[in-house]
Formats: sequence, structure tokens, C-alpha cells
Amino acid sequence: MDDDRLTAKNNYVKPVQALPIRGFFGRIAYGLGSLLKGMRVTMHYFIHPSTVVTQQYPENRETLVLSPRIRSQLSLIHDESGYHKCTACHICEQACPNASIHVVDRPEPAISKKELDFFIWRLDSCTFCNLCVMVCPFQCLEMKPTFESSVYDQRLLAYNLTKYAGPTSTVLAKQTDDEARKNMIEPRQVYDGPTELGGFILAGMPESTREKKS
Amino acid sequence: MPSVSSTLTMPLMVGTVLGVVGFISVVAMILVYAERKVAAHFQCRLGPMRVGWHGTLQSIADSLKLFLKEDIVPTKADHLLHAFAPVISVMAAILTLIAIPFSSHLVLADVSIGVLYVSAVSGIGVLGILLGGWSSNNKWSLLGAMRAGAQIISYELSVTLSLLVIILFAGSLRLTDIVHSQEAGWWIWRAPGVGLLAFVLFLIASTAEINRTPFDLAEGESELTAGFHTEYSGLRFAFFFLAEYMNLFIVAAMGATLFWGGWMPLHIGGFTAFNQLMDFIPGTVWFFGKVITLIFVIMWFRWTFPRLRVDQLMSLEWKVLMPLGFLNLLVAAFLSLFGWYFFPLVF
Amino acid sequence: MVTTTLSLSSVPISSLDKRIQSLENEQSSLGTQEYFVNMGPQHPSTHGVLRLVLHLDGETVKEVIPVLGYVHRGMEKKCEFIGYRQQVHLTDRLDYLCALMNNWAISHAIEKALNIELNERIQVVRTILAELQRIQSHQLWWGVFGMDLGAFTPFLYGFRDREKITAIFEDTIGARLTMNFIQPGGLMFDITSDFAQKVKEFIAYFKPILNEYDELFSGNIIVQERLRNVGILDAKTAISIGTTGPILRASGVAHDLRKLEPYGVYSQVQFDVPVGATGDCWDRYQVRMQEMRESIKIVEQLIDNIPEGKHMVMKFGAKIRVPEGVYYSEMETARGIYGNFIVADGSEKPYRLHMRTPNFNNLWSIIRMAPGLRIADLVTILSSIDIVVPDIDR
Repeated sequence: MDDDRLTAKNNYVKPVQALPIRGFFGRIAYGLGSLLKGMRVTMHYFIHPSTVVTQQYPENRETLVLSPRIRSQLSLIHDESGYHKCTACHICEQACPNASIHVVDRPEPAISKKELDFFIWRLDSCTFCNLCVMVCPFQCLEMKPTFESSVYDQRLLAYNLTKYAGPTSTVLAKQTDDEARKNMIEPRQVYDGPTELGGFILAGMPESTREKKS
Repeated sequence: MPSVSSTLTMPLMVGTVLGVVGFISVVAMILVYAERKVAAHFQCRLGPMRVGWHGTLQSIADSLKLFLKEDIVPTKADHLLHAFAPVISVMAAILTLIAIPFSSHLVLADVSIGVLYVSAVSGIGVLGILLGGWSSNNKWSLLGAMRAGAQIISYELSVTLSLLVIILFAGSLRLTDIVHSQEAGWWIWRAPGVGLLAFVLFLIASTAEINRTPFDLAEGESELTAGFHTEYSGLRFAFFFLAEYMNLFIVAAMGATLFWGGWMPLHIGGFTAFNQLMDFIPGTVWFFGKVITLIFVIMWFRWTFPRLRVDQLMSLEWKVLMPLGFLNLLVAAFLSLFGWYFFPLVF
Repeated sequence: MVTTTLSLSSVPISSLDKRIQSLENEQSSLGTQEYFVNMGPQHPSTHGVLRLVLHLDGETVKEVIPVLGYVHRGMEKKCEFIGYRQQVHLTDRLDYLCALMNNWAISHAIEKALNIELNERIQVVRTILAELQRIQSHQLWWGVFGMDLGAFTPFLYGFRDREKITAIFEDTIGARLTMNFIQPGGLMFDITSDFAQKVKEFIAYFKPILNEYDELFSGNIIVQERLRNVGILDAKTAISIGTTGPILRASGVAHDLRKLEPYGVYSQVQFDVPVGATGDCWDRYQVRMQEMRESIKIVEQLIDNIPEGKHMVMKFGAKIRVPEGVYYSEMETARGIYGNFIVADGSEKPYRLHMRTPNFNNLWSIIRMAPGLRIADLVTILSSIDIVVPDIDR
């Protein structure tokens, strides 16, 4: 309190004002007045139905506008021809603070490097911190504003984000022969959107990750 | 008018009771729905919208849910009283309702001491709250029950004092007589000044008596979790709920009967044309219209005001409302003695 | 090294049981009995899983014993195992109503340790966001305060207006509660082009609403009676407990880090610090109401000329290595001072990170304020100190 900066003499200090309340009848008059004032505010909203802010959610699904920046679902970006740019470098996996990303790679025989096999993302442990998207050196991840991801079974919250196991789109673009390109990739069942709430087993999910948590 | 017991046979009496029970269930359901809708629109919400058109069947769905819900009784509760307490509250509400005149013909029991009967019987309801809170063997419940006891007994005084003003003017305790005495004008404005003050006192004190915000200390959900009905669930909780909304209806009905002329249409002095126009509207519509307005006002209170503290509640009653009530009664006594009220010579 | 075997049941975790037992055997001459009752961890007005053991005499509170730990998540320990960048998103989950300010605080600590100079744009945007968050936090507090006093309507009005800011955050940041937006070295992304427009719209909307708050609630006679001279905390006690933020200021101490040790661009803007006189619930209420007005003033001064520049001065992908040493940095959040104490060993992870969170100290003021008052007053006090339980337990 001796500190000069803390005392109330400073010019930036603004003391809170007190409302005066007078004697017995003054209090009753003030009280009734204040109550009526409050009632006027609520009545204003009652007689103006346009002030209602409720959104009827499942009914307004068609017209629901979501900001494109909303982070609620991780997605691996696939281009028009259905190829991604992920090199299975594991940087996102390392950046993830709660081990929600599990990149499964497999050796690529042609160029003796690793290529993506599965991209497993666990929604149940994800905190949507967006770090994976930010650290990705190839900008191949994004957060999508789809939010309807509730399920009855926690195991269904493990998503496989890649459509195929194989090299990146740049490698595939170099390959001119369609047949050879097809041989390079192996289709995977992508699972990154709304599904049934429960009672079915994820296709295309490696056995080891399916039962990881439970 | 002949007394109830002499004219009604046994089956008729049973029928009447069943009719009243059916009536209160329907009224309570409508009131619950109305409260939810009114509250919603005070708060920029829509309220129930899913069950039926604009959620009209919501109350039925809710009561079905309450019927089917497990009835949990705490192990160390007093089982008999715990089971019996909600019934007392509902019984009190039903018994009170019998004496209310809905229109000049629709009155189940026109008791000659109607006002006294209503205030006496509605006071039984607090017994249910007290027993419910005590028998739950929960400290929060007990606190709620004690608050309710102190509150209802205190505020009963103010209610009675404001009712006495009307009794002085009307010269009768019979509710139908009181309504008939308002043919020339409703007491709220026919008794100059005192009628209005008595009405305000009545409104405040009865809001307290039926445990509604700003006097919902017995429930006080932010302090006592749920007050006296913390340990109630399912059907028994529904009974307390029913009693609460019935009491709301009864208070509004009493207010309408004593201050707003019951089933009487709105008459203004010598405006014959206006008065005849008003006469076209049937008495029951007038009565329910007034009741609905009063209920709306009490709901409006609830969705605007914060709750009082327990000691402030007491000082409001004993230091403000009761002295004002006595003063009002004194003035009213002089006024009625000298016949100084509006339109005294019409009838 | 001495090893001792301890079974959990033999450790006297607290002497509560004994005290309750002794009280229940005791009978006073009138046959009345004082009693203990648990308020929480499941109670509507403990704002989460806070447990208060109340020693009551009828309705009068004789003693309050806060029992903590129901949402303890080991935040500080967790931080020792994850990198500096990953820690930021954990601070969202301390005081979740000031997630951005918490992000800023820990980023500020790391930036201070690394000696990173930020450009003007980052500082201005951070300040605007922090002040918006302060308004948002106080709006929610106002609503909840109304509800704790028994009026449900303010709660929904508070949430309705809070939603406007949340919508701005949703468009700018992409999150509604756990932001993780302010990062060491800048911001996660740049603000959107219509950000300033939206903020201005919000201010135009909210200014009249603040007066409406006063009409509906502040002026109300019941509110006045419930708040005035209830829960008085004098300046000396407030300082000795270590309370910060609006609680300390309501007690008459003009302690606001935004003025005393300006960070961001607070030194360039004009604003006042509301200070109370008596330190009762009414002062705490008014201080927060005034702070919303002051925050609007700050945002208004900054929003029109946000300077150009980069939104991030560090490379995002690079790992952060804080040089060996001890660093401390503190910041004024909506509830008080949030400080970060970093002990760095030169690696990617801190050796030790201690978070000095405002709510922990603020909570303990109730044990000084509540005795002698009613249960209803305790609820008022608890609401007026505006605690967020995850911030207490960490």
C-alpha cells in the first residue's frame, strides 16, 4: 500500500459510483421504480419476437453458415484426381501434443523411401489445437468446419484420412502410364465424415489401431 | 344457496372430486407450458418447439416422463412422511379450488365464509413442504422447508390484511357476495387508493406465499440445490410441481375475485353503451381472462427479479408490508364507515 | 536413501472427518446444534467441481473450508513433457473464459525468454483480442451472477451478448472457447479482412446493452440490498491473501498490470482503472461493469488503425529451445494476474513450469469474507469473486 503506484491518487483511477438510497419511503419508491424499470426491459423483449436468438438446429442445417476457419475435423487434402501430398514424414505426429495422430508408413519399393499407408487421426483425444496443420511442411492437412461427429462408440472416433496407400501426388504426376500408377497405389477406405452412430466396424482400419484405446 | 353436503349425493361428490382433479391436472399442464413459453420469450428464446405444434404437447410428454421415472427415496428418509408430504400439498390445492367462483353459476361450494376458508385451507399446503423437507433427511431440504415455513406464515398476515380491506367494503366473507358487490366497479379502483394498495400488497405477499421468485427461497436452486424437493423424483416431485402451479392459479383466481370483480365485466360509471357491450362477453371468459393476466404478471416477476435473502424477506414483511397493510386497513375502515368510495349509489 | 511405505488409507489427508465428528457429538444448552454441510462438488453455484465444506449455525455460515482437486489434471507436470509450443494449448484449459489472455501470457513468457521483438500489428491485434475476451468473460460473469442471485433472465442475456463476440472469434480464430491462437512469436493466422468491421458492429450493439444491464439488474433494489456491504474484503487482507484483478481493485488497490507494467500496446491507449471503495460485493460488481466500458474504450482506440505487418515473426515449424535460465512473466487476465515461471534447461522442454493462476488466490478470500453471513451471501460472494474451477486445480 505504500507503493505510490497503488494508491487511489493516480489519475487513471476511476472510483465506482454509489447509488444513493434515501429513507423508508424513499427506499420503497426507489425500489418500486427500479423493479418496474427491470420489468420494462424484459417486457420489451417479450413483445418483440424479432429479438429471439434461438436457432432451430436440425431444421436449419441447409442454411447454416459456418466460418471456414472453424476447426472441428482434421482432413488430409486430396486434389481433384484424388491424390494427396503427404510424404509420411511424421512431423505432425511429433507436433501433436496428445498423440492423436498416428501416421502409418510403408516402404516404397521404387525410390527406397517411406510412403503413407494409413493416416490415423483420433478425434476422441484431439484438442483441435491446429498445430499439425501449421507444422506440415507440405500444407497437406486442413481443419474442416464439419461438426456433426457424435457417435455412440468411442472406437468410431478413430479416423483414417487417406484414400489410398501410396506416394504423393507429385510422384504420381510424374508417372505417365495409368496402369503403372494404379499399381503404385492401394485403395484405402477413407473415413473422414459423418457416419452411422454405432454398431458397425470401421472398414479399412488396421487392427492394431482399432482396439488401441479400449 | 344450499350447502354442499345436503345437495350432493355420494356419486356426485366423487364425480366432483374427480372433476376437480382432472381440472387441476389440465390447468397445471397448461400453466407449465405457458410458463416455459413466457419465460422463453422474456429471455429471447423460443421455448419448447419440438413436441406438437410449437411444443404444445410438451407438458404431456413431461408428465408421462415423470410418471415413468423411478421414484427414488433416500435410505434414511422417513418413508411414510416422505411419501405423504406431496399429497398434503396437492390436497390443500384441491380443497381451496372448490370454493372459487368461476362464474355466477359455476361454483362448486359457495361457502359462507369463503375468504376465511381459502386462506385457512391454502395454509395447509405449507405442511406438505415442511414435512417433505424434514422427512427427506437432507440438510438442504430441511433448510428449504424451514425457510418455507417462516416465509409462508409471515406473509399470510399481509395477505389477510389486504383481503380484510375488501371484506370491509363488501361486507361479506362469501366470495359470490364479494363479486356481486363489485357490479358497479371493481374494488381495486372503487375503493379509492386503499383498493390499489391492498392489491399491490396482496400481489407481493401472495407471490411470497406460493414460493415464486423473488421469494422462492424454499426452492432457491442456486443456494439449496432444489430446496425442500431436493430428494424428490418422479411422481412425487410431479405432485409438488402440480401443487405449486395450482397455488399460482388459486392466487390469481383470488386476486381476480376480490380485486378485479371475478366474473363481472368491466363497467365504467355511466357509459351505458360501453357497459352493455362488455356484458356480451360471458362471465367465465372475464374470469379466466383476469386470472390469466394475473398469472402473467406473476410470471413476469419471476423472469425479471433476483431472489431476496432470508433476513431481507422477513424484514420486508414485518417492517414494510405489514405496517403498510395495517395503515391501509385503518384508512379503509374509515372510508367504508363513511361510505367514501366510488359509485356508492349505483346499487 | 530412506524409503517409507505408506498405504493411502493411513495418510491423514485432512482432519475434516474428525472435526465433523466432534461437532456432531456436541450439544449446546438450547438443544441447537451446529452442523457441517457439503456445498459441492455437485452444486449449482460452485461453478464447476469446487467443494466447500460449510460449518453452519442455522443459516449462518461460521466457517468455509474449500476442498480442491476435483479437476486436477497435472497441467504443470504435463508441461515438462511437451515442447514449449505445445504448452500453449494447455493454457486454454486453465481459465477457459480467458483462453486468449492465457495464450498470450505463456507466449509472452517464451518470447521474453527468447528475446523476440514483435511487430506492431501482432501487439495491436493481441491487445484487441484480449480486451474482447475480457468483455466476453465479464458478460458471462454478469449472467452467472444474475443466476446465482436467483434471476435467470440475466444469464441468457449475458450469453446472448457473449455469443456476438464468440461469433467474431469463430470467424477469426476458428474456435469458440479453446482458442490456441496467440502463439509464441505472433498469431496462428492473420485476422480476417472484415474483423475490424465486425468488432465495430459489436461495439455499436453492446454499448446500449450495457445500460440495459444496469436497468435490468444493477439498479434493482433487490440486487442493491443483496450486494451492498456484503462480503467486505479490506485492502490489507486482499493483499495478504494475494488476490488480484477486480477483487483487489474493488478493495481499493489500483493494481492493474496493464498500467503498472504495460505490455502489448496498453501504454499507447487511454483507459481508466475502476477502483472500489469498500470492497464489498457491490464494488466488485461495479468494477467489472466499469471494466467492460473501459475495454470498449481500448478496443475503439485501436480498431481503426491496425498497422500492417506479418502475423508471425518466428518460423512455425521450428522447435523452440529456451536458453538455460529462470524466466517469469505475468499478465492481467479478466480475473487477475496469470504468471508463468519457467525454469529452462536449454532443451525443447521446460525443466519446470509453474503457473500462478489468479483464481487460486482469489478463492481463499471467501474464508475471510463469508463467516457471519448467510448461505445466500456465500453464493453471492462466490459469484462476485468469479472463480473458474479448472484454473484453481490446474
